[in-house]
Amino acid sequence: MKFGGTSVATLPRWQNIRELVASRRAEGARVLVVVSALTGITDALKQLCGEGEQDKRKAAAGAIAQRHYDLLEHMQLALPDTLGSRLSDLAGLAANGPAPRGELAWQAQVQAHGELMSSALGAAFLSHSGLPTQWLDARECLAAVALPNQNERTRLLSAMVEAKPDPALNARLAALGEVFITQGFIAREQHGRTVLLGRGGSDTSAAYFGALLKAQRVEIWTDVAGMFTANPRQVPGARLLQRLDYEEAQEIASTGAKVLHPRCLSPLRDPRVPLLIKDTNRPELDGTVIGPEVRAHAPSVKAISARKGITLVSMESVGMWQQVGFLADVFAQFKQHGLSVDLIGSAETNVTVSLDPTENLLDSDAIAALASDLAKVCRVKVIAPCAAITLVGRGMRSLLHTLSGVLAEFGQLRVHLITQSSNNLNLTFVVDEEVVDKLLPHLHDLLIAAGALRTDESALFGPSWQALYGGGEAPDAAPAWWRGPQRQRLLELAAEATPRYVYHLPTVRQQARELKSLAAVDRLHYAVKANTHPAILATLAAEGFAFECVSPGELEAVAAIVPESVPLLFTPNFAPRRDYVSALATRATVTLDAMYPLERWGELFRGHEIVLRVDLGRGLGHHEKVRTGGSGSKFGLPLDQLSTFLQLADAHGVTVRGLHAHLGSGVLDAAHWGEVYAQLSSLAERIGSVAFLNIGGGLGVPSHPGEVRLDVAELDRVLREVKAAYPHYQLWMEPGRYLVADAGVLLARATQQKGKGAFRYLGIDTGMNSLIRPALYDAWHEIINLSRLDEPATALYQVVGPICESGDVLGTDRRLPEAQEDDVILIAQAGAYGKVMSSHYNLRDEADEVVIDA
Amino acid sequence: MRAMEKDVSNTIQPRLTRVFRFVRCSYADGVAELAYAFDDGEELVERIRFPHAPAVPAARATAFDAALKLLHLVAGVSYYKAGVPPRIELADGPLDDATAELLDQLYLHGLAEFAYRNGLDLRGRIAFPRVGSGTKAAGSHGGVAPALDLPKRTLVPIGGGKDSLVAVEAIKSIGDEATAVWVGNSALIAACAERTGLPTLNIQRELAPGLFELNRLGAWNGHIPVTAVNSAILAVAAVVYGYDSIAFANERSASAATLEYEGQQVNHQWSKSLAFETLLGDWLHTHVAADLDYCSLLRPYSELAITRAFAKLTPYFDVFSSCNRNFRLLGPKPVDRWCGQCPKCHFVFLALAPFLPKPRLLAIFGRNLLDDETQAAGFDALLEYQDHKPFECVGEGAEARAAMYALSQRPEWQEDALVERFRSEILTQLDVAQLALEPWLEPSPEHRVPARLQAALAAIG
Repeated sequence: MKFGGTSVATLPRWQNIRELVASRRAEGARVLVVVSALTGITDALKQLCGEGEQDKRKAAAGAIAQRHYDLLEHMQLALPDTLGSRLSDLAGLAANGPAPRGELAWQAQVQAHGELMSSALGAAFLSHSGLPTQWLDARECLAAVALPNQNERTRLLSAMVEAKPDPALNARLAALGEVFITQGFIAREQHGRTVLLGRGGSDTSAAYFGALLKAQRVEIWTDVAGMFTANPRQVPGARLLQRLDYEEAQEIASTGAKVLHPRCLSPLRDPRVPLLIKDTNRPELDGTVIGPEVRAHAPSVKAISARKGITLVSMESVGMWQQVGFLADVFAQFKQHGLSVDLIGSAETNVTVSLDPTENLLDSDAIAALASDLAKVCRVKVIAPCAAITLVGRGMRSLLHTLSGVLAEFGQLRVHLITQSSNNLNLTFVVDEEVVDKLLPHLHDLLIAAGALRTDESALFGPSWQALYGGGEAPDAAPAWWRGPQRQRLLELAAEATPRYVYHLPTVRQQARELKSLAAVDRLHYAVKANTHPAILATLAAEGFAFECVSPGELEAVAAIVPESVPLLFTPNFAPRRDYVSALATRATVTLDAMYPLERWGELFRGHEIVLRVDLGRGLGHHEKVRTGGSGSKFGLPLDQLSTFLQLADAHGVTVRGLHAHLGSGVLDAAHWGEVYAQLSSLAERIGSVAFLNIGGGLGVPSHPGEVRLDVAELDRVLREVKAAYPHYQLWMEPGRYLVADAGVLLARATQQKGKGAFRYLGIDTGMNSLIRPALYDAWHEIINLSRLDEPATALYQVVGPICESGDVLGTDRRLPEAQEDDVILIAQAGAYGKVMSSHYNLRDEADEVVIDA
Repeated sequence: MRAMEKDVSNTIQPRLTRVFRFVRCSYADGVAELAYAFDDGEELVERIRFPHAPAVPAARATAFDAALKLLHLVAGVSYYKAGVPPRIELADGPLDDATAELLDQLYLHGLAEFAYRNGLDLRGRIAFPRVGSGTKAAGSHGGVAPALDLPKRTLVPIGGGKDSLVAVEAIKSIGDEATAVWVGNSALIAACAERTGLPTLNIQRELAPGLFELNRLGAWNGHIPVTAVNSAILAVAAVVYGYDSIAFANERSASAATLEYEGQQVNHQWSKSLAFETLLGDWLHTHVAADLDYCSLLRPYSELAITRAFAKLTPYFDVFSSCNRNFRLLGPKPVDRWCGQCPKCHFVFLALAPFLPKPRLLAIFGRNLLDDETQAAGFDALLEYQDHKPFECVGEGAEARAAMYALSQRPEWQEDALVERFRSEILTQLDVAQLALEPWLEPSPEHRVPARLQAALAAIG
C-alpha cells in the first residue's frame, strides 16, 4: 500500500491510513506500507540543497524538523528514536554541506530524508495506535542497477532498480512481523550510496516491492479514484476505468494521465502482480485495477488523451529510402542538438517526427540550428504548436470502422501526423494545439455515441468524474414524468390510437422556469421550430417567453396564439425576398445573416433596425448536421465581411441593433456560451449602434443514461461574469429543444418480431415518418416498453419502424423485456423536432398530438 | 421596432447637430468632471477618478487648473466626433494661440482616420475660438511656466503590449523611481503592471453614458486619438501626485502616415507621433510647469529594435498582448489574449520572429500565423504589398519586409505557407539590398527624452 505526500501530512490522514491497513490485516494479508515525504518536504529539501550558505541550510533543516515535531504533537507522540536520529543526520548534512561526499551524492542523501523521516514517524504512529509496525529501510531491499546510458546525475538522482521476486526477502519479513513501513523514492547503488528514483519515485518503489515480494497486489492510494477515459479537467464526463491491462494503462499514463507514472507498471508485468489505484478520501469507490490482459471483453477504446506543446519537424526529400544511412544521419542531428524524438510518421519522400516541449527547445537556438543542418540534406518544415491526441485501447485496428464520426471530426482540422504502432494499442493524431480544448470533450462524446468507447460495459467503465467529484449535488435528475402517475394515462391514450405524440405541459413549465433563473439573460425566446403545438406556444407565452421564428409560416402560427405585446424575432436563413417583405410588415425583429439582402434588396430595410447573425468560426454540436458555425456551415456572416456589411447598412439607413451567433445544438458545456457572449461583446464594441446580443440556444439535453445534464447554475455564473464586463449590452437567448424535448413522448405499438443471425428486430407501428432524428442525426432516444415497465430487460432488440428504408431504425441494441404484439412502446425525449419534422412518407398516417396538463 | 422608430424622431440626431459646447470642468476629491453638450442638448459628463489623490498643494494650483483645462479640451474629442458639428464653443472664453493651435491640430490630425473612414473632410471645420491674433499668450512668444520643483520620478503608462514593458524595464535598469500607470480597467494591463514589480496607479475613466445613447441614435463613430486623452490625464496626475516626467513608449514609426487622402496625411497613430509629443511637451512647459517633461522613451527606435529588446523579457511572455481586440475577460490561454486575426497580432508576431526561438514564439501566440494561408491579406498589408499600411499602431512597411526577409532566409521558417509565398511571389519584386534587418536596429538621434532618463536609452539597444 503506497501513500503520497498529502496522505501522510496530517493526523487525520494517518488515522485513515491506520484504518485501511487494519482492514487489509483483517482480510488476512500482511501489509507493507510505502510512504512519500510529508507534502512540501521534498521541495524544501531540494531548496536546502540549492542553498550556498551554511546558516541558511541549517535554518532550512530546522524548519523541516519543525514540520515533523508539529505533526508528532498532533499525534500526541514523543519523539521516537528512529526519527530523532534522522533529524540529527539531516542537521549534520545541512551543516557540513556537499563537500565531503560530492555534490550529487550529498543531494541524494539529503533528499532521501523526506521519506526516511515520514516512515519513521509513521512506524511510531501505527505501532502506538495498536498496529505493531516494523520500520524497514528501503535501501536494504532495493538495489539500483547501473545502466550503460547513465551518467553520474542519472545514476544518483533517477536510478533504476531491477526487481525480481525474492523469496528470501519474503521469508525474512515473515519472520519479523505482519505490518511494515518503508520509504518510497529511495534505493541503494552498488557502492552503497543512497540514490533517488526520480519522478514518480514512490509509486515506482511500491511497484518494485510488489515485484520483489510477488505481492497479492499493489495499492496506490491517492487523491482520485483511478484512471479515467480522459483528463477530467478537460472532459468532466470522463468515466472511471475500472479494469485495464498493464500495456493499456502504461499507454494511458504515458500519453497524459498524471495519476500514475508510466514507469511503475513494468516491474509488475512479469510477476503478474495487479495494481490497484484507490482514492484515500473515498475508499468505498472501486478504483482502477491494472492487471494482465483479459480477453473476455469486446474491444473498446479505453481513453482519449492530449499532450500539448508539441513541435513537429517535417523532412522532405526525394528518394530518401534509397540512400543508405539517410535516416541515421538525420536522427544523428537530433541527438547532436539535444532534441529527443517521440512520434514518427513516414512516407516515401517525407519523415515527420515530434518533439516534446523542453526548455532546450523553447529557449535555445536548438531548433534553428537543427533546421539549418537538416536543410543541407532535405527540405525542413517546423510545425508548431501542436497537440497529440491519442486514442488508447487494445486492438485499436479492429475498432477503426466505429471511428468514422471521430475521423470525420479530424477531417475538419489540419491533421499533421497520424501514428499507430504495431502493438496496436493506440492511434495518435497530431493537430494544431489551439483546437484541442474544445475538441477533446467533443471527441469523447463522439466515441461513446459511436459505440467505440463501450460505456455500456459496466465491468470496465465506472461512473463519470462529474458524478463522482463534480459539484457535490446529486446529478441524477428526477425520474421522467412518464414513469410516474402519468403512465396509466399514457397506456389509455395509446389504447385509443397509435402512433401518437403526448406533451406534458408541467415539464415545459419546469424547464422554462429553470431557464428564467438565468439572471444575466434579459430576454428568452422560444425557438418555435422545435415544436409549434399551440398549447406549448401558449404555455411559454404565459411563462413570459418571447418567440423566435424562421419562416412566415412560423410567424403566423405564433401570432395566432400569443398576445400582441409578446416580442418576436425572425431569424431565417437563405429566405426569399418575399419572406423579408412579409416579416417587416409584422412586429418581428429581423435577423440578416448574409450580405446579399442588403446588397440586392437594401431599400427594403431602409429605416429598420436589424440583427446581424455572424459566424464566429468553428461550430459545435452533437452531430455534423446540427452544427451551424464554421465555413462548412451555411449560417451566419463571416467576420471578414463584417465591415462591408456595416458600410452597406449605413448606406441604406439600416441600424444594426443586435448581434447574433449560434454555433450548434446539443451543447452541454456552459463555458461555450460565455465564449460566444464575450466574442460577440467585443465585436459589438466596434459597432456603436448595438444594444443587445443574442447568443442563440443549443442548450444540450442529455439522452444517454448517466450522461450529465447541463449545469444551469454554472451557465448562470459564466453569463454573469461576461455581463459584468459588458453591462451595456442586453443579453438574449433562444432555446428550443431544451424547453420541450423531455416534455414529449411518442407512443407506438409493437407489430412483429424477427430474428436474423444474432439480431432480433422489434417492429413498431411508426418509424422515421414520425421521428426522423435517429435516422438524420444518429440521435439516441430512450425506448421503453410501457406495457412491461417493471419486467426484467432480458431481450436485446433492434427497434425498427414500418418504413421501406434500411435507415428506419429507432434504436439499436436496446435491452427491453420480451415484447408481445400490441405492447405500448414509448420513445422518450420526442417533444422537440419530432412532430414538426414528421412526414407522410410511404403515405403512412401521421401521428396525432395530445396534450396533458397536470 | 415601430415604437423604437418613433422614439428616435423625438430625440437628438447627432449627425445634424450645429454646435459642440465645452460646458464646464471641475475637480473635487480626486474626481474630475468634464461636461460637454451638443446644441441645447443634455450635458454629457465624463468622470475621471484619480485614486487616493492627495490635496493639490497651493503652489501647484495654477498649474493644476491649466492641466485640468487641457484635459477638458482634449477629452472632448470623444464627444465632438459623435456629431462633428460646424461650430465649437467654449463656455469660459477663447483660447490663447498656442492652446488653440494644439487643439486644432489634435482634432484635425487625430481625427483624420475617423474622417477618412466616414468620408468627411474636417479641414476648415475645426476652429477652436481664439483670443484674437492681436493678443499674445504666454506660450506664443517663448514664455515659460514657473518650475514647481516636482519630485524627480516618472509616470510610465502601461498598455499591456510589448512597448511599454520595454520602456518599464529600461527605466528600472537605471534605478529611476517610477510608477506604472494605466487608465481604465483592463485585467490584462493590470496583470502586466503587476508583473513589472513597480508601484501601480490605476486611473479610472468613465465615459458619459449619453455617448452610448448618441451611438445608438446613429452618431458618427470611429478612431479617436486616445493617446492624447491619456496624456492629458497623466499631465493632471503628474501635478496631483507629484511626478516630473511622463515617459510614454511611442516608437519611431508612429510618426509615419498610414496613407494620404485628398492631400491630407492620415496617420492612425498621430497622437503617438513626434509632432504631437512636441506640441504637448512644449505646451506643458509653457502653460503648466517648466519642470514637467513629457516624452517618449522609445522615440529613437524602430519597432524591430523594440521587439528585439522585448525578446529578452521572458517573464512577460505569458501576460502581455498587443492584440487590439479588447479582451475584458482574461483567460490563461494564448487565444484569450491574441485574436490572431488583427494587424497588431500579425505585426507583433512577424517582428518578434527574428529574435525568438520559433517554438517559444508559437507558444506565446498559441498558433503559427505565418503558416496560415488565410492570413495572407493581413500580412500583405503589413508589407504594403498590394495594399496600404493598416489603420493600426504597427511598424513601417519596409520594417515588416525586413523581418519577413530575415525569416525567408531561416530554414526553420522558410517552408511556412506565408514565408514560402513571400519567397516565391513577393521577394522577386523587391531589392534585396533594401531588406537588411540591421539598419532598423540602429537608434535615430531624434527624441525629447529629458537628461535624467537618457541613460535608459542605452538599455534598449
